[in-house]
Amino acid sequence: MTGTRRVTNLALLVSVGLVLSIIESTFPPLLPVPGAKLGLANIATVIALYLFGAGMALEVTILRSLIGGLLRGSVVGLFLSFSGGLVSTLVMIAIFALFDGTFSVIGVSVTGAVTFNVVQLLAAYLLVRNAALFYYLPYLILIAVPTGLFVGFASRRVTLSLEGLSLQSR
Amino acid sequence: MSHFTRGRKAPGWIKAGDVVLVLLVLAAAGVSMFMVSRANASEKGSLAVIEVNGHEAMRIALGSGQPDRKFLIHGFTGVNTVEVKDGRLRISNADCRDKVCIGMGWIDSPGKTIVCLPHRVVIRVTGKRGGKGKVDTVTE
Repeated sequence: MTGTRRVTNLALLVSVGLVLSIIESTFPPLLPVPGAKLGLANIATVIALYLFGAGMALEVTILRSLIGGLLRGSVVGLFLSFSGGLVSTLVMIAIFALFDGTFSVIGVSVTGAVTFNVVQLLAAYLLVRNAALFYYLPYLILIAVPTGLFVGFASRRVTLSLEGLSLQSR
Repeated sequence: MSHFTRGRKAPGWIKAGDVVLVLLVLAAAGVSMFMVSRANASEKGSLAVIEVNGHEAMRIALGSGQPDRKFLIHGFTGVNTVEVKDGRLRISNADCRDKVCIGMGWIDSPGKTIVCLPHRVVIRVTGKRGGKGKVDTVTE
């Protein structure tokens, strides 16, 4: 993949992630926890992981949480989504690379969703130091299942549709 | 999926591992819910504040050592009967029309409230057992 192609693909995926998080921010919040959300933007990371590999997935996650945080103008939100996104992407890469035979994209994205929510809660705890926050842990884990499944199926659909496209040849 | 070239990977269809993973996650949610509810049960409120029309009318000590009792609260337009038992509190009777406050049942943990809107009565549980809450002592 040439440099230009790579940059273009990266920019496309980051934009997809940003648009998804903007769409998601119009939904009413699921829980009164700062940063608790569906995680639709994770679709961009999962697609990047399956189409281009681990490096692209990490770049997409880092860029979209940094740019998204700047767009929203919230430092706390940036800290939460950056830490959650980074750790969950690393965990997804590990599952993707090490347990290929055991899990499909569904398992990878559910793992990512759970990690994202749990790490965000831990990051929020570091900020406010109030153990009452862990009251939300069960609900955050529970919510991660439907969102992880949705992200997994959506990413699978997109990845299969792009199968025939020459994204990286030439 | 043989067209997937170098760097690409087929997303695959659902595998048994995915199902096991989802079940494990659901189990983790259940276990954490159990642990959180147990941690909360040991942290009951020690004080209930009763407000009538926005003004504090009464403070009641809850907690294990307190005697069971029943008393009347004279609200804005009517009377509510408050019952305290086993460190919990409820409105057991009210002469309002809708009886929503009775339906709110027992409360005992900090932050829980019972509201009787027609009588403008609000009962709120605060503080933690064993001190360190906002209240040092309770006098009645």
